[in-house]
Amino acid sequence: MSTGRAGLAGSIVRTGVALTLAFAILAGGAGYWTVVEAQRLATAPDNPAVMAAARRLPRGLIEDRFGRWIARSARTDTGETYREYRDQSVSHVVGYASVIYGMTGLERAYDAELRGVTRADPIADLLKKFDPQPVDPSDLRTSIDLRLQRAAVEALGSDPGAVVLLDPRTGEVLALASTPTYDASGIANPATARATFAAHEGDERQPLLPRATLGRYVPGSVFKIVTALAGLDAGAIAPDTTYPDQPEAERAGLAVSGFRIRDGHHPQTGSRPLDLVGATEASCNIWYALAGLDTGGQALTETAAELGFGEAIPFELPVASSQVTNGGGPAPGGFSDDVELASASFGQGETFVTPLQMALVAATVANGGVLVQPRLGLALTSERTGTREIGASPSARVVGEEVARAVRDAMVAAVEGELGRQFTAGAKVPGVTTAGKSGTAELGGSGEPHSWFIGFAPAEAPEIAIAVLVERGGRGGERAAPLAGDLMARYFALKEEAG
Amino acid sequence: MDGFVLTIWLVRIAFLVLLYLVLFAVVRVLLRDLRAAARDHVALGRLVVVASPAGEPPAGMSFDLDAVTTLGRDVNNTIVIDDPFASAEHASLTYRGRSWFVEDLGSTNGTYVNGAPIDGVSPIGFGDEIQVGEVRLRLDRGRP
Amino acid sequence: MTAAASAARGLPAILAAIRPRPRGRELMLLGAVAAALLVGSLSLGTTLAARPVLDTGSVPETVEPALADGRALATYLVALLAVHLAFVVTGRRTDEVLLPVVGLLGGLGLLLMQRLPQGLVTQSFAGLELGLGQVQLVWLLLALGVVGTLGIVVRSDRWLRLYKYTWAAAGIALLLLTFVFGREVNGQRLTLEFGPVAGQPSELLKVILVVFLAGYLSENRSLLTEESTRLGPIRLPPLPYLAPMAAMWAIALGIVVVQRDLGAALLFFAVFLALLYVATGRLSYVLIGVALFLAGSAILYQLFGHVRDRVDIWLDPFVDPLGAGYQVIQALYAFGRGGLLGTGLGAGLPTVGGRMPIPAIHTDFPLAALGEELGLVGLLAILGLYLVVVERGLRIAAAAADDFRAILAAGLSLVVGVQAFIIAAGNLKLIPLTGITLPFISYGGSSLLANAVVVGLLLALSDRGVEPPPPPRPAGRLRRLVGAGR
Repeated sequence: MSTGRAGLAGSIVRTGVALTLAFAILAGGAGYWTVVEAQRLATAPDNPAVMAAARRLPRGLIEDRFGRWIARSARTDTGETYREYRDQSVSHVVGYASVIYGMTGLERAYDAELRGVTRADPIADLLKKFDPQPVDPSDLRTSIDLRLQRAAVEALGSDPGAVVLLDPRTGEVLALASTPTYDASGIANPATARATFAAHEGDERQPLLPRATLGRYVPGSVFKIVTALAGLDAGAIAPDTTYPDQPEAERAGLAVSGFRIRDGHHPQTGSRPLDLVGATEASCNIWYALAGLDTGGQALTETAAELGFGEAIPFELPVASSQVTNGGGPAPGGFSDDVELASASFGQGETFVTPLQMALVAATVANGGVLVQPRLGLALTSERTGTREIGASPSARVVGEEVARAVRDAMVAAVEGELGRQFTAGAKVPGVTTAGKSGTAELGGSGEPHSWFIGFAPAEAPEIAIAVLVERGGRGGERAAPLAGDLMARYFALKEEAG
Repeated sequence: MDGFVLTIWLVRIAFLVLLYLVLFAVVRVLLRDLRAAARDHVALGRLVVVASPAGEPPAGMSFDLDAVTTLGRDVNNTIVIDDPFASAEHASLTYRGRSWFVEDLGSTNGTYVNGAPIDGVSPIGFGDEIQVGEVRLRLDRGRP
Repeated sequence: MTAAASAARGLPAILAAIRPRPRGRELMLLGAVAAALLVGSLSLGTTLAARPVLDTGSVPETVEPALADGRALATYLVALLAVHLAFVVTGRRTDEVLLPVVGLLGGLGLLLMQRLPQGLVTQSFAGLELGLGQVQLVWLLLALGVVGTLGIVVRSDRWLRLYKYTWAAAGIALLLLTFVFGREVNGQRLTLEFGPVAGQPSELLKVILVVFLAGYLSENRSLLTEESTRLGPIRLPPLPYLAPMAAMWAIALGIVVVQRDLGAALLFFAVFLALLYVATGRLSYVLIGVALFLAGSAILYQLFGHVRDRVDIWLDPFVDPLGAGYQVIQALYAFGRGGLLGTGLGAGLPTVGGRMPIPAIHTDFPLAALGEELGLVGLLAILGLYLVVVERGLRIAAAAADDFRAILAAGLSLVVGVQAFIIAAGNLKLIPLTGITLPFISYGGSSLLANAVVVGLLLALSDRGVEPPPPPRPAGRLRRLVGAGR
């Protein structure tokens, strides 16, 4: 009846083996955190060791693309360091590094490098333990042009808004302005931090919100460029596509699933059915609604996704994800029905975009259909490692070259065409072929619409792409377009100055 | 590289090395023991119920014995003897060194070995019969 | 004939029978342990002495070697040696590995407590104001006393095996006492106060649980291995014998619900299942138990906020990095700062600007503190030491003379191993964090004393010489009460 003690010894041994395996898992866990993840953990900005080091060690400089300093370290009487920023125009790009409020912006993104604690591998980490001076702060050179950045913030003035100016060929961001801006130096200085932060946080204009990257807005007509790209790429429309019932629908409204979409402006085009160039120049909602319905929700969201919609764009700063639709609807692409799809096609559906996303749309057209990821960091320079270039941004083809060319022609007409000149006065850069599209995002209710403009120049060989948003700024052609024109003109003037 | 950093790291690493030294010394001892061990265990002995008028435990039942075995009516006993003439804590069997001892734990009716009452601790051999109440049990060699 | 010898003749026969027996391995291992701890103390003391300069970002020009509270360490080492000598003098043939290994773990704990802010725990004692390190030293000395006493005095396991239901009753009484009179700390009702001393009964309870289970399982082993019920492919033992499993499960759930002590519940249930497997060799029990555990966990997760919190923090502590997830994240940061070799003893960052990133570092997170300062290399050594304790205990179990002793020894070693695993895995974010101590290292009297009882019993059980007979003599009433066979 007894199973004998031998059986018991067997189960004891097996239990021991099981526990040994469990401890092997512990060893694996310990190795994971202390070696594999050590780099990330040891340099995390809210790691107390990092914060303690931040109190006494100076950080590297942050410079604009021509080596002008934007952020530098200073010392208090007690020897603790704090950050100073050149002016408030760069606050939303550089962010702040505060002992009390942590870090934002480039200060956060390049924190490890600026402090100089970044470790390449465990062996180097071992050797560094024998090093009396364990940090090697790097200076960060950014793609920002401080003059354009200041010009952009000044141009927005007291209006809340955003400007993104970038080189479509490289993705280098020349200006990334969000207004109202805030006093980063005040937050970084321990003496004034609390008062400054409290004042900004209590401000209902939300100066701490980086609108260019985290603001999500109704795009209005600037979204038509996405619709055009999607339709042409899918083959659903061609540059010469016309809709015979479009002129009539402008008067009576366009019936979509029993719902009437009304447009009713631009009498200048008469009763002539418009093609891509005409519809873009006149910003014809009906034509774009029909084009969007032909394209279909699936193709529209797919092209949009390739442009960066639907997820956070990879960038050094946090970026809100832009959306074409809320998704989850029964119609293809997640639209709830054709009415939503038709409205989205001219930017008045459930579509929300960041100014950075719209700048990338313009840049993709400018770059012949290839999207280059945006970037701010150009190079890191430290005493020990010398200068290291930060690798070029990855790029991907979104649409074919001829598609991009057709949309470019339409955007040139929207700025330089006979009708376009009436709608987007002032976007034109004197002496340079300018392409663009204005947008007037109706928000429902009373109040002014958001004023939008996206564009690029020179149209034949683009060097810069731009997106401008002015919250409640009125018609796109009246506020955003001239602002963009002035900034692009400033770019070419500065370029000429430099020779 | 300067003196303090070098010295303190030598001490720190020496400490870690010593931790492992202890661990290795211990593991060596463990391995040596491991080789010495591996012995087959046989129960020290067993009790076979020869007669049980009350039927608990039933006659013919056999118990493998531990080093300490107690007999009695109480449930805490190793072998529960449900017999009206057994005490709650009646007797104990202990294995000490190489032989078995039986001990009366102050029972009312006494404990008998081969029919003779015992007083206190008494040695017992294989084949001997113990009587607790009206239950008789025989001590046998443990089976391998 | 010398005076001493004639005096010995007057002592009781039991003392006369004692022959001193050298314990060479233990002495050799203890020597290595002492050397390691001294170098550790040197490393710690020197770093702490240089800390004011290091903290300014520069490096001291000269090395000033110093021990961290050398007197405390010396006292501890002397106490270890005293226990060893006591074993030698009394001639016990007990295990020679456990004492040095546990001694090293305790010594690491002592170094750690000396290194943490001393104000974390203060105790006034006979006009002395004792800080964290000194209080820990006092508990360590008491614990060594318990190890020595049990290792020498316990020569019979009768008092454990005969009164299993009494032990069970005592355990349940202890549990109820805690339910009713326990002091609530952080929403957990774990602490019982006796005058100035507060204790955590669950630490003692785990020993009682193992003793009871050893008695119950060794007695019912053959019945539990019989099969009479079949549930599809799973073979079940007679249903009535599953009742204790259900009861155990209910008690574990009760501890979670009433005491909010997830750690103890997990420990008890895991040890229970492991012992059930050891006793029966039936994996189906373990599978049923794990299924019950998962079902219970799911229910508790739905019903109780504190359970849900723990699990959610575990899944992603970064959701609330400054609130609920704070301690866990800080522990991970500590591991990350440690890297391969660690920062060195005393060079870590348990405090920043006078604030403790990990408030419970001395009780719940000592592994994180050691991981920071000794790195992966040190962590692996510590895990290895625990494995040695478990291996040693299981070896004692496998060589035990009978089922009761085997299951008891297995249970005692599993309690240590499983407890170390649960808290270490919690620190390393492998499982949700539960607030139990790291055996031998964590601060705390209850923990140290309970684990000392475990080690003392293991030592006693390891003595193959427990059986040799004292001369048979008439049984006295007192002897039966005490139950010790001497």
